[in-house]
Amino acid sequence: MTRIIAVHSYRGGTGKSHLTANLAAQLAVQGRRVAVVDTDLPSPGIHNLFGLAPGDVDKTLNHFLWGLAGIDEVCCEVGTRLGVRPPGRLWLVPSSVRADDIARILKDGFDVRTLHDGLRALSARLGLDVLFIDTHPGLSKETFLSIAMADLVVLVLRPDKQDFQGTAVTVDVARELRVNDMLLAINKVHGKLDPEALRERVEQAYRLPVGAVFPLSEEVAQLASEGVFSLERPDHPITREIVRLAARVMSH
Amino acid sequence: MIDSANLQSLAGSIRSVASPFRAYLNDLHQRYRSMDDGAVADYIPELALAKPEWFGICAVSASGRVFDVGDCDRLFTIQSISKPLVYGLALEDHGRDYVTSKVGVEPTGEAFNAIVLDEKTNRPFNPMVNAGAIATTDLVAGEGGTARLKRVLEMLQRYTGRQLDVDVPVFLSERSTGNRNRAMAYLMRNFGMISERIDETLDLYFQQCSVLVNAKDLAMIGATLANGGVNPVTGERAVDQRYVQDIVSVMLTCGMYDYSGEWAYRVGIPAKSGVGGGIVAAVPGKIGIGTFSPLLDAKGNSARGIRVCEDLSRDFGLHVFCAAEPERTLEACIDGSATRAA
Repeated sequence: MTRIIAVHSYRGGTGKSHLTANLAAQLAVQGRRVAVVDTDLPSPGIHNLFGLAPGDVDKTLNHFLWGLAGIDEVCCEVGTRLGVRPPGRLWLVPSSVRADDIARILKDGFDVRTLHDGLRALSARLGLDVLFIDTHPGLSKETFLSIAMADLVVLVLRPDKQDFQGTAVTVDVARELRVNDMLLAINKVHGKLDPEALRERVEQAYRLPVGAVFPLSEEVAQLASEGVFSLERPDHPITREIVRLAARVMSH
Repeated sequence: MIDSANLQSLAGSIRSVASPFRAYLNDLHQRYRSMDDGAVADYIPELALAKPEWFGICAVSASGRVFDVGDCDRLFTIQSISKPLVYGLALEDHGRDYVTSKVGVEPTGEAFNAIVLDEKTNRPFNPMVNAGAIATTDLVAGEGGTARLKRVLEMLQRYTGRQLDVDVPVFLSERSTGNRNRAMAYLMRNFGMISERIDETLDLYFQQCSVLVNAKDLAMIGATLANGGVNPVTGERAVDQRYVQDIVSVMLTCGMYDYSGEWAYRVGIPAKSGVGGGIVAAVPGKIGIGTFSPLLDAKGNSARGIRVCEDLSRDFGLHVFCAAEPERTLEACIDGSATRAA
C-alpha cells in the first residue's frame, strides 16, 4: 500500500513546497519509491526545487485532468539528477505554469474524482511507497480531496497569528473529513522564540503533535527554491530536523 | 452549535470520492467496461442511438452517501424500472386487496411482452410484465391523462429528489410501435380487468417508460426503497411505508424478466431492469445501486449491470438470504476502516 501524505498550509509562504520536496527527496535517497504531485493548480511551483524547467515538460497534471493524457504520461523522473539511486526513485507530477492552462482550470474547474482516481492509479502503477501531495494554500476542492485521501496530513505553519487562526480552520475541516492522522510542522521560527516552549504551546492549542520546529533560515532563503536544501547541505541542523521528520511521517 | 451544513455536505461528498468503496466500484467499472457482450435495444430508433461504451455505476447508502463512477449523469429512459414504482402508487391509491385482485404477484418465466393472463382469474401474472404493468398503470388515480401523468412524475421525483421529464420522441415512438401492448390492453379490457380509458392509460404507460433518468437517479430510487421508502438525501417519503415490502418483493421475484429466478438465486437483491440499459437494486437497510449500460443480454437485462450486481452481492454478502460472514462488510468498506486498519 502506498502511504499518502498531504502537505498543506492555510496561507502561502510557509515553506510548504520546500518541506515537501525535502521530505520526498530524503525518503527517495533512503531507497523508497516516492512521487510528489503538485496539486497547487492555481500557483504551481515545486518543480523548481527539483530543477525542472517549464520547457522540460510538455504534459502536466492539467492535461491529465482534461483527459488529454494518461497519468503516467504526466509523471517526470526527477531523482537521478538529484543523486537518488535505485531502489530509491523520485517522480514529480507537475502542474502547468502556462497562464492559459491556469485560467482554464480556474474557469472550468475539474472533476475531483478524476484527480482521485489518477493518484490511486499512479500509486499502483509506479508501485509507490509514498505519495506526497503538495496542495494549494487555503481551502479548495483539491485540498479537501488531498486531506480526505491522505493517511497523514502535515500542516505547515509559522508562528504568526494569521497562520494560527487558519490552521485551526484547516484542522476543523480535516476532522470533518475524518482524517486519519495529522502532524504539525512549525517553520520560520525567529531567534527570539524558544522552540520547545512554542512546540508545547502549539500542541496544547490544537491537541495535535508537532513533528518538527524549523528556524527562520537565511541559508534556505538563499537557495531561493533552486534545489533541495537537505541534499545540498547534508550536515546542516535543518537537514537533521528534516531527516527526523521524514522518519516520523513514515511511522504509523 | 454553529451550523455547518455546507461543510458537512462538501466534506461528505469528498469523503465519498476518496472512500475505498468508490475505489472498489472503480475496479468493477474497469473490469467490465471492456466487456462487449449484448446489444443495444433497437425496437425503436431512439434507443438504438445509445453508445455501447456508455457505462455508469452509482451507489447510494441508506444513510445518503453517494458513490459514482463513470457515466452517472447521462440520461436515458427509465423503461420498465418505472413499473415497481407505479405499482407502489397503485397500492397507495387502492390498497393491497384491490390491487392484487387486478394483478397477480406470480413470476411467469415468460418473456416480458408475452400475451398471457392467468386462466382462472384473468389477471396478468405480475406487475413487472407488460400486461401487469399496464393494468397497474390503469389503477393510477386522477382525472384525465395530464393529472395522472403529473402524479406519476411527482411520485418518481420523490424517489430521485430531482425534477424529471418525459423524452417526447421516445414516448411518440413507443406509442406508434406499441401495438402489442395495445393488444394486451384490449384483451384485459375484454375480461374487465382494466377500465375503459384504454388510450389514456396506454399513453400514460408509454410516458412513464419514457421518463429520463440517470444512474444516480436509479441508485437514489434503490436507496429510497432500501431506506423504507424515504429518500435518504432529501428526507422526503416517496411511498407509504406499508407498501415498500410489496414493491421490493415483486422486484426480487419478477424484476429481471425471465432471468428473475436465476437472479434471486445468484444475486438475491431485489432489482428491476429496463431496456434503456438501467438496473436499480435495493439492499434493504443498506444501499441502493443504479447501473447504466445499454448493452442488453438475450433476456433484455443490461449485461454489465448484471455482472456488477453479481460482484457486489458476492463480495459484500448482500444476498438477502446470505447467512455467511462476508470477507468485508459494506459498512467497513464505505468508512474505510477495512483498509485503514490493515
